[in-house]
Parts: sequence; structure tokens; C-alpha cells
Amino acid sequence: MTVTKEPTRKGPPAPEAPVGAPARPGKEQPRTMRDLRLAHEGKRRAVTRPVENPLREGLRLERMPEPFAFVLFGGTGDLAHRKVIPALYQLWRTNLLPHEYALVAVGRRPYTDDTFRSDIRASLDKYSRTLPVDEEAWAGFAERLTYHQGDFSDPASFDRLVQRLQRVEREQGTRGNALFYLATHATDFPEIISQLGRVGLDHEVHGGGWRRVIIEKPFGRDLESAIRLNREVLKVFREKQVYRIDHYLGKETVRNLLVFRFGNGIWEPLWNRRYVDHVQITVAESIGVESRGAFYEETGASRDFLQNHLMQLLALVAMEPPASFDADALRDEKVKVIRAIAPPTRHDVTRDIVRGQYGGGWVEAHEVPGYREEPEVDPQSETETFIATRFQIDDWRWAGVPFYLRTGKRLPKRASEIAIQFNEVPHRLFREATGDPQPNLLAMRIQPDEGILLRFGAKVPGLGIDVRSVNMDFTYGSSFSVDSPDAYETLILDALLGDASLFTRADEVEEAWGIVTPIIESWADMPPPDFPSYEAGSWGPEAADHLLARDGRRWRRI
Amino acid sequence: MAKGDVVEQNVQGGARVSAPSGVDLGGLILDSAPQKPGETVLRWSSRAHSIEEIDRELSRMWAIPKLVARVDGEESRHIAARTSVMNLVVVARRPEIGERCSATIQELTGRHPSRTLVVSTGDPDGPAWINAHVQAHCILPREDAPETCAEMIYLTAGGDAGRHLGAIVEPLLIHDLPVTMWWPGEPPFRLPLTAALLRITDRLVVDGASWGGDGLARLREMAEAMDRLRLTVFDFALVRQSRWREAIASIFDTPECVPYIRAVRRISVTYATHDPTGAPGSTNVVKPVYHAAWLASRLGLSIVKPLTPLSTPVSGRHRASSRPGPEPMHRGLTATLREGRSDVAVYIRPVMSGMPAGTTLRVELLAERRGSELRADVTAEAGTVRVRVWEDGVELLERVFRAARRTDVDLLAEAIEAGGPDPVAIDAIRVASELIAS
Repeated sequence: MTVTKEPTRKGPPAPEAPVGAPARPGKEQPRTMRDLRLAHEGKRRAVTRPVENPLREGLRLERMPEPFAFVLFGGTGDLAHRKVIPALYQLWRTNLLPHEYALVAVGRRPYTDDTFRSDIRASLDKYSRTLPVDEEAWAGFAERLTYHQGDFSDPASFDRLVQRLQRVEREQGTRGNALFYLATHATDFPEIISQLGRVGLDHEVHGGGWRRVIIEKPFGRDLESAIRLNREVLKVFREKQVYRIDHYLGKETVRNLLVFRFGNGIWEPLWNRRYVDHVQITVAESIGVESRGAFYEETGASRDFLQNHLMQLLALVAMEPPASFDADALRDEKVKVIRAIAPPTRHDVTRDIVRGQYGGGWVEAHEVPGYREEPEVDPQSETETFIATRFQIDDWRWAGVPFYLRTGKRLPKRASEIAIQFNEVPHRLFREATGDPQPNLLAMRIQPDEGILLRFGAKVPGLGIDVRSVNMDFTYGSSFSVDSPDAYETLILDALLGDASLFTRADEVEEAWGIVTPIIESWADMPPPDFPSYEAGSWGPEAADHLLARDGRRWRRI
Repeated sequence: MAKGDVVEQNVQGGARVSAPSGVDLGGLILDSAPQKPGETVLRWSSRAHSIEEIDRELSRMWAIPKLVARVDGEESRHIAARTSVMNLVVVARRPEIGERCSATIQELTGRHPSRTLVVSTGDPDGPAWINAHVQAHCILPREDAPETCAEMIYLTAGGDAGRHLGAIVEPLLIHDLPVTMWWPGEPPFRLPLTAALLRITDRLVVDGASWGGDGLARLREMAEAMDRLRLTVFDFALVRQSRWREAIASIFDTPECVPYIRAVRRISVTYATHDPTGAPGSTNVVKPVYHAAWLASRLGLSIVKPLTPLSTPVSGRHRASSRPGPEPMHRGLTATLREGRSDVAVYIRPVMSGMPAGTTLRVELLAERRGSELRADVTAEAGTVRVRVWEDGVELLERVFRAARRTDVDLLAEAIEAGGPDPVAIDAIRVASELIAS
């Protein structure tokens, strides 16, 4: 996310800086007192440090990605066509990729380079963030786009891939750098990773280029499978080479959450159990399972959203300030928060977790079928399409502050929000006020109307004292009209620059599964749920309301 | 009905909905035509003749309890949000400059600051007077979002008031919001009037390429003011060059070129002139000077000898000594910088061209290291920047970057949206000023 300056190579010794000249980035510096003294006496040359490109300072990127080959497994799939390739095109169009770059799409379907290019062109015409597609940019992009046919389980196709990448390196000057993107079904991950290891494509040769791998969620389907997957991945790649992508973390507002918390001095003193009554995190979708019935049957809301998006949002809201914006410093803090949530017991699941499944109803003026009537869905399905939870973070900062999380499909609208509900004033001074002033609230909207809202009480003009809540509302749209990059653009560029801040680390994934797996296992031990339990177009089952009502609270009306 | 009251009524066809009773103060304007996202609509228009009246109009504008448009007999949307980002003050010494600036600002749909003051001066004789036109421009960011509005105040001050613009502008600023001052034309940096305005400014926006003569004296004055008043300066002339800078920087992203970055020995910048003599002072050279200054500041080069005209015009073959003919083109300016123990020569050369005068046509770099040399040649056209690099005469790379030349609208948008001071720009302006040294 931040462009860190990573030393890359040695350069010539730099001469002494002229007096009064601006500090020179990467200038040689003595490191020890002895070096310093000897350098002053002119007896020893200062230690050489790698040379940065000082001309990049102040430009859009302080470092340009090094030449690289982008190897996209699942190149013919939906994710590749809708998200990954449009993001790469956008980066290319805006000169954020080096000229020495090549995209090798790997898939099973029998395409030639030309037929694949025309397919991609059709997708860009549909899904590119900026339309129409820029013909000149497309020409350069298409020139670097090739297709490699191969079955992921076929070792020979990986042998051919090695040869292909060697050819690409010679022809395109990619210098041995390769980013492997696994946009395939999760079941293919272990095979692809193992084959990459077998043919040596994981090896980072000294001075001969880096190798990184981006893995799409789901990272496992429970704790055990996540540990197994991590083990498989880490048998081949080192953790520093692995980028587990959760596109939610690349969203502008989620990144702004960090700026909002740690770039403003006024919130930190209030951001704790002393002032916060509770926190609500909502990720609501109005869509159903669309054409992914079979996938969703195996996944459900807990695996699809709770384990990743919701837990990540919770971690960002609740974590301690990291000492630096270094990827590991940030992720260390996130892991600590997740670890501070006790894995729910069966009793906790019964008491603090609500699941639901939508029945038929009306959403956004359309009549929609119930989940069990969706294509590829078992008519007796017990898969949850809604989940609401009450978590407790057992640490110094949050002890006693409940975190309510909810996500679901076929809710009345698409909306994601984090709401920090502050305590009520300790003493009601305006008891005679006719209105009932609400406690202060800080809401961070992630989508669709990105912004931040602060609610506070104000006197209604007139005689007497009537207090009413008013909102101070900041919307991105009204303050910044700059076109935000898509989350995939942000994250792919970060991976190319070697910045893993917004990617999930193995231990984060496992800790999150450590919370979600006991929930799933407890459900498996319980009698079948009474599904469907909420009407499409409503805010979930009534039990979700009771979850908060029990504590004397209610869900925010979004 | 009181002066300036607002009357709401439904008028079909996008006509004016409200009108104050019998006064020229105007007021709410509601358009019954459906508004499209991204389009700016004038929602308020009224006049005022004193600071107090302007204040009153601004309060009135936002005090209407329910600003609802009726379309086809039904209440539609209301103005829900006022932007709270910054103040933009445009100092247009002449009304026609103000109009031109307004047109640029109008194009910044959705990027409006909270309050824009377009200030111009009228007849300086006679008693002090103010004439202001107060407007609210609104935009629908999205189909389902409320309108967002920004205020525009066109203000002309005459008589003595025109000599004290600082005293007029300051009370009209939204407090606690940063102030960006766009000063098109030639800001007289040394006049007290300018100092008074700059003292209340956080960011000054100018276009050094539009200044008269070679523009260098004013550039030096601006650098002085920047340091004296701790101003953040946003010079279109410098910001326009970002596509050049990206292209030049990209040369040293290439591993083969990296070692040469500390071994630059010559920087040549060629610019367009319409003056057949190319004599120094005849063409604004702020942009080519910025190129050299940016490179010098980023590479940490010190100045040994500031810019001076090259001594003799081109002669010899091109001109028979006794035959009459056109004067040869002047060779331009030169300076000497230092990198460690080596000198770095700077040349700023004019070339007759159909491009606007002062436009940079080419930047060439020569770097020498351990008996090898690296030559880089960067040129730009309307939509592209081309980079070619040779090492010891062998072409190392040729790249074309797609990067369109930016318009004033793009640049103003960036000036409005940019955050704090830009240290790279500050360094470049300072070094440019040192390079000019009288």
C-alpha cells in the first residue's frame, strides 16, 4: 500500500554531496562511529548503499515495478476476465507497468494467442473501468498477452510453461521475475503450487529475479484444510513470496480506515472500552447466489464472508497502532486482535451466533426466489446465507465491548459499514428534552456511498431545550472526485512492488479459521435449522435482532 | 414580501422557479428538467454590495429549511450537502480574466472547493464599492445520491476597496479551511496588495509559462515570496512537466542505466521560440529552466555558474561573413553545475517551431562513467512522450509513454485536490531561482 524503498542493487560510489545541496536519497553513509571517524579522516570510503532512483521522488510511484512475467492460472475464468485482466490493462494504460512485462494466461481450454486476445478484448469492452478501451494502449497490452494451454494436473504442461517463460524472458526482458496468480478453483491450488515447485519456478536466484504467488480466497474451508494448504504452499514458497488476496482490503475506504484511525489524533483516545459501547460491522448484499449455487452450497456466509472480509474489517478496527506501516508490523497487530477472540464453544454458538437462509421475497422491486429454489442448490439445503455474530475481544482495550458482525445475501440493499457506537453521556442534563438524544456514533461506510458520518446531539432552535441527533456527513464523492483505483489494481501493483501490507499472512488465515471452524462444527452437531428463516429483502432473521435486543441494543438502520 | 425572500413554485421546462419580489437580488433556482449525474446546475443566484450582504446571502442560501424541487407535481430531491474542503480565491485583475477562469472552474464538475471567490478590480478612482454575484452550483454525484453544492462569489471591488483586496477576501473565507489562491497572469509579488493576499494563502497557483519576457525575473520573485511567506506554490508550468519527469525517471529504472545516474555530465533542453533571433529575453523559458532545475535538485547537483547567455551566435558555414542574410539563431543559455568533482554542463537552447513559444521540445542527457557514455533523448508530442537511450552508440531502449498533455482544467483540479507542500516542487523552484541568479 505504501511504496517502500527497498534496496535493490549496488551502484557506483557516490561523491561527496555539495554544501547546501538537498539530501541525496541513497547517499553513502558511514555506519559505525569508527567508519565515521575514518571517513572524516579520509582513510576509509564510506560504506556503499544501493542506489535508488532519485528522479522518482514525488512521482506517482517512487518505485516502478521491475520487469516481470505475470502468469495467470485460470486465465479463461470469470475472475480473470472480470477483474484481474481489466486491472492489469488499467495499470498498463496508466503507465504503471514496465515495458518489459508479459502476461501468460494458463488455462485448459484450447485457445490460440489470437483467439484468447479477442476474448480478452471482448471482456475489456464490457468490464474495463474506463470505456471505451484505448486502442493504442490495447495494442501494447495485447502484444504482451499470450495463452498457454495446459491441464493443471499435467506435469508436462508445467515443463512447457518453464520453456515458455524462458522464451518470454529472452524476448520481453522480464529478467526472471515472475508473479503467479492463482485465479482457479481452490481445489487446484495445491496441485499448481506443487507443480511450480517441481519445475523450479519458485526459485529466486540471487540477482536473477523474484518469484511471487498470489492466491485467491478461499484459503481453505476450515482450520484443518487451511493449515494443510498453508503447509503445501510453504513447502514450495517462502511466506514472503506468498500474497493471499482478499480484495476487500484493497478497497479505498478500507485503506482509508487505517488513515482515519492512525492519521487523526482525536480518535485514538476514544477508541477503547472507556468510550465505546459497542461496534457493528455489516456487509450486506442484495444479490442472491447468482450462478454460483454449487459453490455457495459448499461455502455459506461463514466461509464466504465471515472468515475473511468481516474478520479483516474487525481486525483493522480493533487492532493496536502498528509501530510502522511495514507489512509484518501491520499484520502482527491484526493477528493479535484475532487471537484475542476466544474460539466460540457450542454454548457460545447457540447464544451468540445467528444463522439464516433466505426464502422468496422482493428485493429492489423484483420478486426473487428463495435460496432453496436457486439453480444448483439442494432443495433441503442447510447452508446459511446470513450470519450474525457477537464477538468479544479479550484484551485491555476492548474487554467488555461487544463486536456485532453480520453479513447476508438478499438483504434489502448492498451496503457495508462499520459503526462505532459511543457510550451514552453519564448524566442526562437535558431530561426535559422531548427528543431522545442518541449516543454519539461514528459510521464508516465502505460501500456504496463511501464516507464517514458522525452523529451528535444538537439543540433544536426555539424556546426551551429540545435536543435532536444530527449527522455530520463526509462523503468521498463530495470531497474527492478523483477516480479511485479498483481494489485489484491496488493489490496487484502492491504485489509487484513487494508490499504485502494488504495481503493476508498464513497465521492470520489460520487464526480466523480458528474462530469460524468451531461455529461450523457446532452447527453440524445441532439439529437441522428451521430454514428458510428470513424473507428476501428483509434484514435477516428475527433472531439476529434478538441478539442485540438481549443486550439492550439494536442494529443500525442502514 | 421582504427583500430577497424565496418563493417556491413549480414551473415546467427548466425555468426559474423562484424570484424575489421586485428586487434584483435573485435567489433559489430550481430546474424541473431531470438532472444527470456529473452535470452542474446553478441552484442559487443573487447579488450583494457589501461584505455584510454577501454574508447574508450565503446564510440565506443554506437556511432554506427544505430545498425541494417539484418535478411533475412530485417532490424530488433536495440539496443535502455542502462541500467542506477548501476556499479557492481567484485573483483576476481584469474582469475578462475572471470570466476565463470561471469557465475553467465550471468545468471542474464535482471538484469544486467549498467556496470560490473570483475577485477582480474595477475603476480605481472614486469612493470604495463592491459588487458581488453570489451563486450556488450543485452536482449530482450519482443517480441515487443527494446533490452536493459549492458556493461561487464573483466580486468586483472599485475605488479604494480595489487596493485592499486582502481586507475583502479574508472575511469571506470559510474559516479553518485551507485557502488556495489562483493568480492567473502576472502576480506583482513585490506589491503590498499581493503580500496582503498571500499572507492569508496556503497554496498559490500560478502559471509561470504565461509570464511576460523570459519570465525569469518573476520566477525569482516568486521563489523569494515562497520562502518569505512559507507558501506552497503550484506552478502549472512545473506540474505540466510531470509526464516528462515520469519518462526521464523511467530511464534510470532500467538496471543498465542505473549506474549512470550519478554520472550525468550534460543536460540540454531545447525549447520552441517564435523569435527568429532566439535572443534571451524574447521567449518565456520558465519551463525549460524547470527541467534543468528539477534534474539538478533531484540529483543533488550544486551550482557553479548560473545561467548566462552563450557568448556567440552560431556562425561560420551557415553564414558567409560578408553576405547579408537573416541573423543566426542565438545559442541560448548555459550554466555549470557540479556533481562531486565533475562539472555538469546545462544548455537551454531555442529552436524555431510552430509549437507554443516556451514549450519544451527535447531533453537530452549525457552521462559518462568508466569510459562509457549513456545518451538519453526525450521528446514529447500531444499524447505521448518518447524516450530513446544509447550506451556507447548502441541503442539500449526506445519507449513511448502514452501521456496526454494536461489542460488547465486538469491542472487546476490537481492544485485543488493536492495535499500539503510538495517538497520536489519546492526544491525545483528554489534551484531554478538559484540558476537564474541575476
